Amino acid sequence: MRHRLAPLVLALVVIAFAASAASAPAAAPPLTIYAAASLTEVFKALDPAESYNFGGSNALETQIRNGAPADVFASAAPLNTQRLFKAGIVDKPVTFTANRLALIVPKSNPAGIRSIYDLRSKPVKLVVAAPAVPVGGYTLTVLRKMGLSGVLGKVVSRESDVKAVAGKVALGQADAGFVYVTDARPVSDHVTVVRIPAWAQPRVRYEIAVVSQSPNKAAAQAWIRMVLSAKGQAALRNAGFLPVPKSST
Amino acid sequence: MALTFLVLPVVAVFARVPPGDLVSALGTEAAKDALVVTAKTNLISMALILAFGTPAAYWIATRDTRLRDAVVTLVELPLVLPPAVAGIGLLAAFGRLGLLGGTIEALGIDIAFTQTAVVLAVTFVASPFYVRTAVAAFESVDPTLPAAARTLGAGPARVFARVALPLAAGGLGAGAALAFARGIGEFGATIMFAGSLEGRTQTLSLAIYEQFDLDFDVALAISAVLVAVSGTVLLSVKLLTRWRSGSTTPIPFAPSTRTSS
Repeated sequence: MRHRLAPLVLALVVIAFAASAASAPAAAPPLTIYAAASLTEVFKALDPAESYNFGGSNALETQIRNGAPADVFASAAPLNTQRLFKAGIVDKPVTFTANRLALIVPKSNPAGIRSIYDLRSKPVKLVVAAPAVPVGGYTLTVLRKMGLSGVLGKVVSRESDVKAVAGKVALGQADAGFVYVTDARPVSDHVTVVRIPAWAQPRVRYEIAVVSQSPNKAAAQAWIRMVLSAKGQAALRNAGFLPVPKSST
Repeated sequence: MALTFLVLPVVAVFARVPPGDLVSALGTEAAKDALVVTAKTNLISMALILAFGTPAAYWIATRDTRLRDAVVTLVELPLVLPPAVAGIGLLAAFGRLGLLGGTIEALGIDIAFTQTAVVLAVTFVASPFYVRTAVAAFESVDPTLPAAARTLGAGPARVFARVALPLAAGGLGAGAALAFARGIGEFGATIMFAGSLEGRTQTLSLAIYEQFDLDFDVALAISAVLVAVSGTVLLSVKLLTRWRSGSTTPIPFAPSTRTSS
């Protein structure tokens, strides 16, 4: 009995696989690119032909570690790519862009936040990303540098990626949230940006790497070269990302 | 054969981590907090569902068929609604910029990112499970029994409390158990409407989602708890439904003996 079950279960899995494979176009399979949520708009605009999985870099790292079929991994923090590199799961990562943080508040600004320091004095529903998410870690750095770690007591939700933070603020559900400056742009109709001083900015570095087990390695490497090319860098700059500082190339 | 496919993921939850580690993972702060938040919000939701759902179900069950079908369809809508749609709907209705958001805020009630939001999400998605089962339970009560009680001089409220309610009790219990099972598993509407904060709005399902890339063992341990609870609920539904089918035969006059004591 037992030996008859395994093939049947496998058959189910195979059918499910065949069904999903059938829907993909046959010619020139698109690359599967796992990328930090903050890269959503810029990557889609840069190359709409590939298939993307955007999310918190930490969640993407876990998925790739568990064998997700990614060809390329672009992370909002070196930590996530470097951990996979040390585990032999991705090839050597390169830094390809940089970013800054900003505080966003809804256009109606119900809590009356005009500077970061207002977070300390006013009652505010503050939304941040979870500490394991890159932007969540960067947020902790900003608050520590500004001596504002106490406002973490006003956090009402820890979201799984930066887009979830931006969404909650844009919706007016939260009074304020920490995001990358590049995430404020797509929701600029609904939010006002409160600047964070340059001296309090964390070092936000994005790294990109080819997944070692990728069956499309040559295409994946070419894609990364395209991101590093003048065309890719211009697209990133137009979206508000910063060029890679000389020191970290 | 197909059974193996259904059972394997459930078994795998327990197989991947030794039981000792599961217990210690449950002792983590995140797991304990999530357990407390889930228990608290779901008990409040269940109280609301029972308090408002029972009379509503009785009212629906005793109406004529055309009206009843229309109302039942409305009640069942959240049942088939994708959780993400439920989350969007709750935000559009009760969000701070939603339809009733301004009114609610003017009343000094704070919903955004509070346990109230979790309770609303759970109640919205879970109540149809109770109400539709309760309607069926009230309908399966032999109509001659309430009628007999009326001829003996009992008012409508007394008939409801002393005849219909005890006779439908098995079905009501089964419905409550189903609603509870749906409620403790609530994820989509909660994360969209209430957010996720440990010790405040982070329920067991939300904790699994967060722990999944922090500490897979903790995620497994919480999943194991939910498997155990769901199994218990399923078992009690089976038992309660059996009891119900016994209690709706016209022969036993159990309520009247209870009344006379």
